[in-house]
Amino acid sequence: MTRSISQDNAVSSSRMTRALIYAVLLVFVFYYLLPLYVMVANSFKPLDEIRGGDLMALPKVWTLAPWASAWSSAQIGVEPTGLKPYFINSILIVVPAVFLSTVFGALNGYVLTKWRFKGDGIVFGMMLLSCFIPFQIVLIPAAKVLGFLGLAGTLKGLILIHFSAGIGFSTLFFRNYYAAFPTELIKAAQIDGASFFQIFRRILLPSSAPIIVVTVIWQFTNQWNDFLFGASFSGFGTTPMTVALNNLVNSSTGVKEYNVHFAGAILAALPTLLVYIVAGKYFVRGLMAGAVKG
Amino acid sequence: MASLKIKNLHKSYSSVEVLKGIDLEIEDGGFLVLVGPSGCGKSTLLNTIAGLEEITSGEIQIGGKSVEGLHPSKRDIAMVFQSYALYPNMTVAQNISFGMDIRGIDKAEQKKAIDNVSSILQIGELLDRKPSQLSGGQRQRVAMGRALVRDPQVFLFDEPLSNLDAKLRVDMRTEIKRLHARMGTTIVYVTHDQIEALTLATKIAVLKDGYLQQFGTPDEVYNDPKNVFVATFMGSPSMNLIEAVVAKKGENLVIQIASNDNNRFELPIKNIAALEDYVGKSVLFGIRPEALTDREGADRTSDQIAHQDCMIEVVEPAGSDTFAVINLGGKEAIARLRADAKITAGEQASLAFNMSKAVFFDPASTLRIR
Amino acid sequence: MNRLQQWLPRLVLAPSFFVILVFVYAFILYTGYLSFTDSRMLPSYGWVGFENYTKLFALRHWNTALVNLAIFGVLYIGICSVLGLFLAILLDQKIRGEGFIRPIYLYPMALSFIVTGTAWKWFLDPGIGIENTFHNLGWTSFHFDWIKDRNYAIYTVVIAAVWQSSGFVMAMFLAGLRGVDNEIIKAAQIDGASPARIYRKIIIPMMRPVFLSAFVVLAHLAIKAYDLVIALTGGGPGRATEVPATFMYSYTFTRNQMGVGASSAIIMMIMVFSIIIPYLYSELKSGDNR
Repeated sequence: MTRSISQDNAVSSSRMTRALIYAVLLVFVFYYLLPLYVMVANSFKPLDEIRGGDLMALPKVWTLAPWASAWSSAQIGVEPTGLKPYFINSILIVVPAVFLSTVFGALNGYVLTKWRFKGDGIVFGMMLLSCFIPFQIVLIPAAKVLGFLGLAGTLKGLILIHFSAGIGFSTLFFRNYYAAFPTELIKAAQIDGASFFQIFRRILLPSSAPIIVVTVIWQFTNQWNDFLFGASFSGFGTTPMTVALNNLVNSSTGVKEYNVHFAGAILAALPTLLVYIVAGKYFVRGLMAGAVKG
Repeated sequence: MASLKIKNLHKSYSSVEVLKGIDLEIEDGGFLVLVGPSGCGKSTLLNTIAGLEEITSGEIQIGGKSVEGLHPSKRDIAMVFQSYALYPNMTVAQNISFGMDIRGIDKAEQKKAIDNVSSILQIGELLDRKPSQLSGGQRQRVAMGRALVRDPQVFLFDEPLSNLDAKLRVDMRTEIKRLHARMGTTIVYVTHDQIEALTLATKIAVLKDGYLQQFGTPDEVYNDPKNVFVATFMGSPSMNLIEAVVAKKGENLVIQIASNDNNRFELPIKNIAALEDYVGKSVLFGIRPEALTDREGADRTSDQIAHQDCMIEVVEPAGSDTFAVINLGGKEAIARLRADAKITAGEQASLAFNMSKAVFFDPASTLRIR
Repeated sequence: MNRLQQWLPRLVLAPSFFVILVFVYAFILYTGYLSFTDSRMLPSYGWVGFENYTKLFALRHWNTALVNLAIFGVLYIGICSVLGLFLAILLDQKIRGEGFIRPIYLYPMALSFIVTGTAWKWFLDPGIGIENTFHNLGWTSFHFDWIKDRNYAIYTVVIAAVWQSSGFVMAMFLAGLRGVDNEIIKAAQIDGASPARIYRKIIIPMMRPVFLSAFVVLAHLAIKAYDLVIALTGGGPGRATEVPATFMYSYTFTRNQMGVGASSAIIMMIMVFSIIIPYLYSELKSGDNR
């Protein structure tokens, strides 16, 4: 029996090199997992076991106390509330902001590819460029304008800021995706008498699942992980998770409760990790197809 | 009654004019083919008829009424697209009924219309499938079904066969012709394939660079081309165009052509009054390959066959015919010989020129001399 | 009715465009204006010309920030690219378990810089972290206290940032490698080229667009880097890990030097745009030619 010639583009190599390749890959598996392992292992240890012991070791005594503390009783700023209220704040900010920036991004992409008008290139160019501004440049005026609108320190204010920072990317994603969507389908639907919104809802939207996944993951990750806007524009009752975590870790008073810090860090990472585990595969695929190619 | 009439149509994109004054008219039940090379404006013209693109000036009438400002769905047209444009998320039945759905027609009536169309096109067993599960030919049928179900005044076809393989294309071409004969609805059909144009059309409009080059029946366009472009674009292999000099021989006109051994030979031509003005000047002598044959293959009904020895450079058997490449007036020319003509490359052979089919063009203006 | 249909697309686009116009472009202009004023704790409109910029570049902290950004940027971009490409090439060797390895390389991307910073902060801490671990193992002379060392603290930022981003760069390169036309590689194999040579002479040169994309993404992240520094070192020890992003924040909001803060933000924007605009321009141009 003859072996068929491989169709793959990987270049074949000898046994020894292959073993080496696997070894190197495995080393990096440990490298990437190590910090996560450290966080998880130590979040289940009592504090004195960390201070007296070894960060790399598994807990000798397993305890859920650090988790309970991080969630509901740790001192954040002046209040011993734990991270729970901040977790809820983040959800209240991120869910509407992700929803809005995805919906408007989809509509913008639809208009910019299928209903082109004079000057649409400039509109898109400005939206595209807005993706890349360093946010520091909008901090001062944003604080002023949010105050003027009566939105300073409110959830609505933060939603608005996140929307303004995210809409450029959403528009970019959807525009690139819809650009490859056959324009003849739009024409056919027009001849069938479908209106602007009917075409969007009945023709484009049912085929948009991949790019919706990309956009939602992108926006969710960025907005959940945001620190700068949260630190700059949130008020007493509206502080998001990342800012609270940083307060928890860097509060100068009292003993450093490393185990609580680690539990808190995992709590802050959990939603994005979960989203990533569930849909990360589609995200990378979609991102490569859409965003990077410009 | 004309079911489609186009008057002095202009269309520009910002500073580029793509349609430069088109006048067309097709009678009820006619089959109009818009043909031309890519970029000639034929698809733009079709899109303006559909209302998918706005016109810059001029007028389009469908069924005797101007359609200016009318939405595509209100123009009483249906369109079949090059890519078929089937909605990927809908089944075949949903694709066909989408327009009715939008117009709010009730389900029972939709069902009846779908059944009717699917029996005409024999796509009954495909109704529940998605477009991605169909072959090219099946998609083509569904696309036609979606157009058919609208029962419009005019069907618009935008290069509908160009995505099919050669065999299927011929089959579908026949099918479209049969469908047209059966429905009797006016069709406007865009293609770059001149054979499609000749086989399907009742009227052909040849376009190039936004101008209408010629508008006429397939016979007129093929046998009586108005200019060099139409003559060479229609027909395959295309018409031979040979530089020749007009001369007077007694009462009769002849043309003189350089052969490959630097000699000249003469061919008699019909007395075309306008050619008198060209005596002593050069013209482009056009003769189709099928009018340039071996002696035995010459058209017996022709009253003007001239014989001339020519050097055969290449012989290309093509099954039903054999094509021979010869040199005429310094240019390659193609003769169409019978398949069993005993002619080989490298020899002199006596060829028959059917001069009753010859046409002449002015070299400067490229217009027909007649 | 018809008119409405004609204006509908623009109406739909309008809210987003308006938000961008105000929250990005008007804000940039306003910050630009403030950078020429004597604003301190609150915006004030006394025109001072280029005084803030002169002041800015005379500040030791700002120069530290620029040097740190240069060190951080070069190492971060360089290591991420090399490591990303290296891992992508290894993963492209028909690896069994690729589906298991790839997500592990990639997951740090999903984390907040604050989380990454927290994890590495304690992991690199000489008291409880890796140094302590080696001491426990018996290697008592092992010494690793960069995070507490003014001269080396910025490199710990590089370590954490590389950990977070290199997997993502790997994914970009892997997608690029998979996109290389098989027939070209087969032709090279028939020509007798060795695998190493095929990568060096054929495949990697074809990765140019991916290098460019990775560079732009990483450079942009580097200049914006704020959260990671705050969580990992808080800008310290002292102000040893100050970067432009932390500088801007502290001068504007805690040191009440808004004019100087605004001018530093403008400099940051100029740095980002000088990288991004040529990139976008070339991308859009090649997009039009497609």
